[in-house]
Amino acid sequence: MSLPTPKKAWNWLERSRVGRSVFRVGIPKSNLERAQAMVSSFLLHVQPAKVSRRALKPSTTLGLGLISLYLLFILTGTGILLMFYYVPATDRAYDAMKDLQFVVSAGLVIRNMHRWAAHLMVMFVMLHLCRVFYTGAYKRPREFNWLIGIALFLLTLGLSFTGYLLPWDQLAFWAITVGANIAAYAPLVGPKLKFLLLGGNTVGQEALIRFYTLHVIVLPALTFFMVSVHLWRVRKDGGLASPDESADRVEKVAIPDLPTNKSYGLMELTRLTSPQVGKDPEDEVFSWPNLVFREILLFLLVVAVVLFLAVFWNAPLEELANAVHPPNPAKAPWYFLGLQELVSYSAFWGGVVAPAILVTALVLLPYLDRRKEGVGQWFAPERRTANTVFTLFLIVAIVLTVIGSVFRGPNWGWVKPWAQPPAATEGH
Amino acid sequence: MTEEKPSRLYPAFIVLGILVSVLTGAAYYRDEFRDWKDYQRQFIREEMRRASTPQQRQLAASIPVQIRQIVLPDLRRVDRCTTCHLAVEDPTYGGFPQPLAYHPLHEQHPFDKFGCTVCHRGQGHATTTVDAHGNVPHWDQPMLPLRFIQASCGQCHEASDNPAAPELARGEQVFETSGCRGCHKLGGVGGVIGPELDRVGGRRSADWLMSHFRSPASVTPDSAMPPQKFSQPELEAITLFMLSQTGESITGFYASMKVVPSAVQGRHLFQQKGCIGCHSVAGKGGSIGPALDDVGLRRKPEWIMQHFRDPQSVTPGSVMPRFGFNEAEVLALTEFVLHLRDQNVALSLPSLMSPVERGKEIFRKYGCAGCHGQEGKGGVPNPNAKTGEQIPSLVHVADGYTRAELINVISLGRRQIDALDPKRPQPPLYMPAWGGTIEPAEIADLASYLFSLKPKGDELGF
Amino acid sequence: MSTPIPDKTTSRRNFVQLTCGWLVAAFAVAASSAAAVRFLVPNVLYEPNLRFKAGRPDDFPDGSVTFLEDERVFIVRQGNTYRCLSAVCTHLGCTVGRSEQGFHCPCHGSSFDEMGKVKGGPAPRGLEWFMVTLSKDRHLLVDKSERVDPDKYLVL
Repeated sequence: MSLPTPKKAWNWLERSRVGRSVFRVGIPKSNLERAQAMVSSFLLHVQPAKVSRRALKPSTTLGLGLISLYLLFILTGTGILLMFYYVPATDRAYDAMKDLQFVVSAGLVIRNMHRWAAHLMVMFVMLHLCRVFYTGAYKRPREFNWLIGIALFLLTLGLSFTGYLLPWDQLAFWAITVGANIAAYAPLVGPKLKFLLLGGNTVGQEALIRFYTLHVIVLPALTFFMVSVHLWRVRKDGGLASPDESADRVEKVAIPDLPTNKSYGLMELTRLTSPQVGKDPEDEVFSWPNLVFREILLFLLVVAVVLFLAVFWNAPLEELANAVHPPNPAKAPWYFLGLQELVSYSAFWGGVVAPAILVTALVLLPYLDRRKEGVGQWFAPERRTANTVFTLFLIVAIVLTVIGSVFRGPNWGWVKPWAQPPAATEGH
Repeated sequence: MTEEKPSRLYPAFIVLGILVSVLTGAAYYRDEFRDWKDYQRQFIREEMRRASTPQQRQLAASIPVQIRQIVLPDLRRVDRCTTCHLAVEDPTYGGFPQPLAYHPLHEQHPFDKFGCTVCHRGQGHATTTVDAHGNVPHWDQPMLPLRFIQASCGQCHEASDNPAAPELARGEQVFETSGCRGCHKLGGVGGVIGPELDRVGGRRSADWLMSHFRSPASVTPDSAMPPQKFSQPELEAITLFMLSQTGESITGFYASMKVVPSAVQGRHLFQQKGCIGCHSVAGKGGSIGPALDDVGLRRKPEWIMQHFRDPQSVTPGSVMPRFGFNEAEVLALTEFVLHLRDQNVALSLPSLMSPVERGKEIFRKYGCAGCHGQEGKGGVPNPNAKTGEQIPSLVHVADGYTRAELINVISLGRRQIDALDPKRPQPPLYMPAWGGTIEPAEIADLASYLFSLKPKGDELGF
Repeated sequence: MSTPIPDKTTSRRNFVQLTCGWLVAAFAVAASSAAAVRFLVPNVLYEPNLRFKAGRPDDFPDGSVTFLEDERVFIVRQGNTYRCLSAVCTHLGCTVGRSEQGFHCPCHGSSFDEMGKVKGGPAPRGLEWFMVTLSKDRHLLVDKSERVDPDKYLVL
């Protein structure tokens, strides 16, 4: 009996009863099928059947949110693999890291990918936040999605922070010691919070297992849940924020309170931004294949970048954690260095008040900013004040981080990074 | 079809809600109200009652109600006994009813370094009374009855000659003289008919052990071990010794006291290091160094100790090498050398003994008496054996065997024992092959000893 | 298919039942959440005990400053008063050593006087003093969880 040709095999997949039970729509060949493919697929139906051309342009959002999501996928995949070798015990964690580095096939590359993807994700989540701000995409009706985004930002920081301890080397141990000490500066609850976080008074076995549990299941579960809500809200809020949508149209929705006995009656009761009424057909294209294919391309790009970094630069692994040999200076992870710089001036004002004000401002932003202009536009002139204020904060944050990173040396004193070889205690 | 009314389900909602709440409350109650909290409050009340100044009263009132534990990473355990036994270090609670009684004799083994269970056994993890005392399923080490407490000393210290644990030393002595090793290995030395005893103390309780000694077949069906005829004190002593054999490996700090510096240990070292090669005792030995018989009269103990540490420092030009003894060994050797005038000690050096004397020691060491009786007199039952349903006595081996034949039997053993009645089960006890365990030189000495057992003037032959 | 339609006018009984049901459910949820949070607070620690026995009072000669390596403290005796000073530098946690007029940290050069106050170097504050009491069996009992002022000491 001869082997089936690829064409025959493909036909079988598409047309046989077995094939059709799994893939309800084959490769779409008509517009109807293109729409059906999106709507009938579990994974794809997070996307609408059609998107505006504007949404396909890279300059609209720079794809920052998607990049963050892809980095999360890469982190989850590499993270799960790493879990097969890593042991969260103070007498075994470091050795497990060395094993991954030296004896596990692809261990070095996978660990490197995990580390670089982690740093990139923190960076890209921050960039995504900036993009959403600068395009005014937090305004009504997207306020709640902005809040979810803030929550995701904090979850990302939490994931990075909890993961930072796991290698149990000097870098990990002291970064977390500094971080936990900063947390303890919170008034009233600070020391209790530190005790709960560490499971004791010192960074030891209890802290390691708590951080591990948070890092591999608690925070990822919360993150995936919130990401799902975040993406769902993007759809329900009318897709990517665009200058074409006006607030009035949103206003026009009147939810009828007459019961209907149609099965899609529920859909009629939601916001009328979808299905899109009154939009030109030329403005829209089918998600399959235009959007989906671009998303795949972007994923490949992200993987390529992470792989590139992983192949040519090793993630750091310093000496085994040693509680009696603090490095001087002991630095927090880079995304907390700005905070550490502030703390060096005042523990309370810099370590507690400043971040509290920052988070509160971010949370209240969409409710305080009721102006409707500039949605979906980069650096809209109507939003000059808001953009300027935000940019100032951004510059201050970057400057503080840079100071903490390269201009601070032993005893947190000033150093000229060009005058001497870079200190081995640079945070990565 | 009737209309759906959710309100029909409301009563069920309430009932289930109440059920869940009540069960949550029950779970909370079970978790929150623990025995140990009652004992701690009792202790606090007692402390407050005893307080005579407001300062003391305040100190007593501020005692927290919390679990107390002693973490012992080197002993791989954590003991929470002090959660209830709060007054163990306070002499003023001597004789107070448990669990608040004082624990005397803890100066040598402070609680924070030794905990409790390493001596008393029991389940240190537990915080409920029954579980902590360990008489529960799936816990191998229940608390030792107090009369057997010296068994625990044997885990870290050598059993013989520990002045603080005479019962343990007694138990070891009973063990060695009863010939248990003839069938059982302990510390790698012994016969193979019965199981090895290195871990028996960790697996069996005192009651089981005592029943086993009195009637093995009653606790171990099909046991070939004959019932042992111990007096009650001997029975308790050997049970205690067996309880000390837990097979636990003791690490570092705790093993450093294994050698209680004593004359007996000194004798081991003296033999091991070959001191007799240069020094003489009771006229036997080398002549490079001085005779040691009266060194205790001539030199102070401090001098002798320093001499062991560094001979050249007290005797310039001495050719005695530095052996690198640790302090315990220095003490042990000094003790031994000071007691050399005691004849028994001197003559117990194997290199100074005659073959018959050495053979007697080997007879004892490998437990031959366990099967062949004390001094080879026999009398140990071996059901259905042709040799009078007993293990043969050795008193007349000189008549029945040549030297070579005797050495052969000892080395190769005799697996097949002729049965009296072929229809009955095979005799359970046999002669193991000792060739792999006992050195040829030792077997030769053993043969000499056995030949010497024949009563003088007895010319009866087989 | 008929869809469930709540009556516009719910009876009082229904209202009470529903409210009770939700109250009880809320209580159950609150209680479980409280239990979960309490679960996360550790009751025992595997760290070295902060309260320890330093030895008998007579083990320390008059006028001595004795370093206890495992606990990283100094026991200071003057006459019949006993104090305990932390040997952990307040800068970054290195162990300080004795110097002529007090203590000195080898790591970054902080120096402290006899009473633990900062004399120089990067240390932000003085060395800590811990509570010393006498245990029931007459040993010095140090409690590193209780910080005290240097003018609080044990008098025998």
